Amino acid sequence: MSETVANNGHKKLQEVQMVGIVKRFPGVLANDHVDFDVHAGEIHALLGENGAGKSTLMRQLYGLYRPDEGKILINGQERLFYSPEDAIEAGIGMIHQHFMLVPSLTVTENVALGLKSTRLFALDLDKVERRIVDLSEQYGLKIDPKAYIWQLAVGEQQRVEIVKALYRGADLLILDEPTAVLTPQEVEDLFKTLHQMAQVGHTLIFISHKLYEVLSISSRITVLRDGRVVGSRPTEGATRASLAQMMVGRPIIQQYDRPAVVAGEMCLDIQDIYTKSDRGGDALKGVSLSVHAGEILGLAGVSGNGQRELAECLGGLRPVRQGKVILNGKDVTRASPRERIAAGQSYIPEERMREGAIKEFSVADNFVLEDHGKSPYARGIFLNLNAIRSQARSVIDAYNVKTPSLDTPLKNLSGGNIQKLILARELSRHPKVLVASQPTRGVDIGATEYIHLRLLEQRQTGTATLLISEDLDEIRALSDRIAVIYEGKIMGIVYNSETTLEQLGLMMAGVTEK
Amino acid sequence: MKPVVFRVSLLAVIATMLLAACAPAAAPATPTAAASASVFKIAVVFPSAHNDAAFSQSMYEALLTVQKDMGGPSKVEIAYSENLFNVPDAAAAIRDYASKGYNLVIAHGSQYGTSLEQIAPDFPKTAFAWGTSLDTFQEAGINNVFAYQADAEQGGYVQGVMAAMLSKSGVIGITGPVEAGDAKLYVDGFKQGVLATKPNDKVNITYTGSFSDVSLMAAAATTQIQNGADVLTGSSQSVVGAIGVCKDKNVLWFGQQWDQASLAPSIVVSSQVYDWVPTLEDMIALVQKGVLGGKGYTLTFANKGLVIQYNPSYTVPADVKSAADAATQGIIDGKITVQP
Amino acid sequence: MSDLFTLSVLMGIIVSGIRLATPYLFAAIGETFAQTSGVLNLGVEGIMLMGAFSGFYIASTTGSLWLGLLTAAVVGILMGLLMALVSVTLQAEQGISGIGLSLFGLGLSSLLFEKTIVSVVAISGFQPIRIPILGNIPYIGDALFDHSILVYAAFLLVPLSIYVLNHTPIGLKIRAVGQNPQAADSLGISVAKIRYLTVSFGGMMAGIAGASLSLALIDLFQENMTNGMGYIAVALVYFGGWNPLGVLGGSLLFSFVNAFQLWLQVKGVQIPSNIALMMPYVLTIVALAFAANRARQPTALDKPFERGES
Repeated sequence: MSETVANNGHKKLQEVQMVGIVKRFPGVLANDHVDFDVHAGEIHALLGENGAGKSTLMRQLYGLYRPDEGKILINGQERLFYSPEDAIEAGIGMIHQHFMLVPSLTVTENVALGLKSTRLFALDLDKVERRIVDLSEQYGLKIDPKAYIWQLAVGEQQRVEIVKALYRGADLLILDEPTAVLTPQEVEDLFKTLHQMAQVGHTLIFISHKLYEVLSISSRITVLRDGRVVGSRPTEGATRASLAQMMVGRPIIQQYDRPAVVAGEMCLDIQDIYTKSDRGGDALKGVSLSVHAGEILGLAGVSGNGQRELAECLGGLRPVRQGKVILNGKDVTRASPRERIAAGQSYIPEERMREGAIKEFSVADNFVLEDHGKSPYARGIFLNLNAIRSQARSVIDAYNVKTPSLDTPLKNLSGGNIQKLILARELSRHPKVLVASQPTRGVDIGATEYIHLRLLEQRQTGTATLLISEDLDEIRALSDRIAVIYEGKIMGIVYNSETTLEQLGLMMAGVTEK
Repeated sequence: MKPVVFRVSLLAVIATMLLAACAPAAAPATPTAAASASVFKIAVVFPSAHNDAAFSQSMYEALLTVQKDMGGPSKVEIAYSENLFNVPDAAAAIRDYASKGYNLVIAHGSQYGTSLEQIAPDFPKTAFAWGTSLDTFQEAGINNVFAYQADAEQGGYVQGVMAAMLSKSGVIGITGPVEAGDAKLYVDGFKQGVLATKPNDKVNITYTGSFSDVSLMAAAATTQIQNGADVLTGSSQSVVGAIGVCKDKNVLWFGQQWDQASLAPSIVVSSQVYDWVPTLEDMIALVQKGVLGGKGYTLTFANKGLVIQYNPSYTVPADVKSAADAATQGIIDGKITVQP
Repeated sequence: MSDLFTLSVLMGIIVSGIRLATPYLFAAIGETFAQTSGVLNLGVEGIMLMGAFSGFYIASTTGSLWLGLLTAAVVGILMGLLMALVSVTLQAEQGISGIGLSLFGLGLSSLLFEKTIVSVVAISGFQPIRIPILGNIPYIGDALFDHSILVYAAFLLVPLSIYVLNHTPIGLKIRAVGQNPQAADSLGISVAKIRYLTVSFGGMMAGIAGASLSLALIDLFQENMTNGMGYIAVALVYFGGWNPLGVLGGSLLFSFVNAFQLWLQVKGVQIPSNIALMMPYVLTIVALAFAANRARQPTALDKPFERGES
């Protein structure tokens, strides 16, 4: 069957070897003599933390970067890829983490993009469309070729990406964190498709940092850490613990202790709020939630269902059109961010580089961004630089933020360290209410573990936490109760101990209302 | 890091290139060696190009004539900056010339007045002149500014008389830039001249809102002609667009501010020409005597500052010519008064 | 006032409107290509001036209008390439470099004019061509089918560019590069190549737009004769929602209202000339506010592309 796929003239891709790959970026050794090989019919997981060099390695295979050292062998022959065009020619396709689709074009136009047309002046879109239908039937990838990309759900867009690669005759498909944006059900569909493709002789490289996914989909696993290969082994017999240790370099906690805490008074009460989205239309359509002292309420949902807007409403960054927000008994519906801070709320925003911090400022300056007007950081109209520095130093040490100095611009820190700094800043004020939006997105496992432990510690001391996250594992690991949001509405609120992954998955897809 | 350096240096080169190209041409028209006491140095700032076939060119050519009459570049040095429609730029240029020791600095645009009032007191040994205006700022205690204007309505009137006699359709069009200043004087005078001759003729006036929008000026002329006009006139440097249309449609044109016959010899009847030479000569004489301002000049038929220049390629019928001469004489004698 | 609403006035408005719209069409359609691929070229004004000058100079010295037009097109391409070099290869801020190019064109065309032609002279430009049969239809023939070749070309450019942008492989690539250059790059389309192509095409069109003034509509060159038309052309691209048909609509609206206000003045309608002169601008802004269509706005407009950033 694969002969029909390999239609752009290259010989079927049986084997890829990357030997001694070195790739340097200014100040970073992204790949340090990496050896990697993959064979037809294999689903090969490339596992590692953020920044371990997985994507960089694959971008070299796809011709987006050129290796500084080392070579790439296709079917035993050395090849040089100067651009993705060369890689496509050799039968390689890549599904990027951020989809490479043009929203204003149709599915067919996106697939046709860059193809050599058989007609000189006109596009032969009808021919392309017929083949898309063929391919989607062959691999069970349901898509409407005439739909515009902006009309499609994320899962459908991913299918378009896969068809796009198959159309170009890809024998080898690189998938960069393909499940990050999917619901559990969509993940299941994707895995089915991938298995099907492997069976007919395709080669799949699956980039991920999620252990359970890697264990369930792959046949072989290569682990990268700090740009180096830690090991490569068959999936059979591997365990989460062993893989985690390879990834992080030390054992990590599999299951957090979550001692029972008696939920106290209601600290944050969100009553039937509505807000507009950036595109007009309502992003929130009557959301009601209440968070009690000593409780973590997890808000689960697929990206783009109103989570960001809700977080911004609570942070005071987006106006609430209708409804009320009560914070510690005080109506803060229209309060400014400063008034909310004064009322005892801390806010960890989703876009930490845009809302939570100023990346050109130093570590110390970012630390006093909110409290610069208060004692001990200010004396009259002047900043008390000594007090700022000593306080920042002690918190940075306490929260294990790795920074060369207090004067280092924030942008030079890793994502995990920036997030720890923001967390340190927010938690050092001992908030009564904590709104944390995607607190560990883009953060490595080590830092994630650290942040999780800190959040649980806050819970012990009686903080009411609203945890907004698209990572269902994180929600499951930390929450007492879980609310699921879908298209701006709460689909249901369940106790973590009493729910199943399937039930949550259905709610996330908007199927049942409980 | 190397590509960045390359980029920055290349950008710098291009930026320099751009700046060099767009800097207003501030070239002395006549290169002279070191300034000596015997050289009279004149600088002028123009809002449009020095060769705009209109207001600026009238002053530029007058300066050249004065230079020649006074003994050439060794006696009179002339420098100019042009296309300074932007007043702050012009003010900078005026200040620059004054500080470089020019004897007479001319700000050739009524929009420059306010700037000049601020600059002149800082250079009490320099003579300034500006127009069109009659305000020498003496009331404000400033004694080193001359002012000049043209009674543009006088020539407008005379050409209006001719236009009325030459028009067969009885519809006459005027295309002006903005409804103010020199242009408005001319337009109003022209209209009076037509109506004094043929009270039933129609005079239609359009303004384009710009001194330099050639395209809209051409469209205005086209519109006038479609509306039945067979004689047109207009003011500002953008009338070259209108003259082109008239040439194509074989419609008569009267020029203003500069002799426009060369643009379309077949259809230009005459032009009102400003002759600034007597004004300039008088100013220079005063400056050399140590009088640096305080006098206002007005170009009129009487003082020969205004001249009707006939196009040699176009034969004006005798009766029309004599009517024009009569009107000119009437204005000089004061028998005809043209409302400004 | 009453004789304002007559057939001949209407035809007069159409004739003037079509002529006025011609340079805008050339420049704005060219700019549509550049912007659709993600490059905001504010240098149109300067390119138009250089096109107007160079076309006029060559036509008046060689006597060949076609050679003049060709020169204007080539000069336009060269200036477009300069813009592409600065904004695509060197990734300079597009707005600033465009304004720089405009000032460059203004300065250089004025300088060359003073050094070569010296003072304003007229030439005999492209003459109106009456289209057989269609040109003989009463009124309509005069209004629509008796124009110079460049006027027809400007209007033919509209359907042609719609076809190219929407129904050809290159059009698809142009749209993709403007909407999601990363995606285009990942499919092996050279973002830089496409942007060089569109910006130099835009330059060529701007050069021809300038030549349409100096060789067909006004038949002379004067310093700064475009008087801000290039900037209006850029605005018309936004107005038209990056759709050639919308650009056509915007150009015609602006030009017809301009022609109309001239008739208002000629007919002696009692409104101050300043108010009449504001009409095209006010109406264009009002139409823009009501008909805003951002759907085709290139997401990557004004953003330089660098591989590996996502």
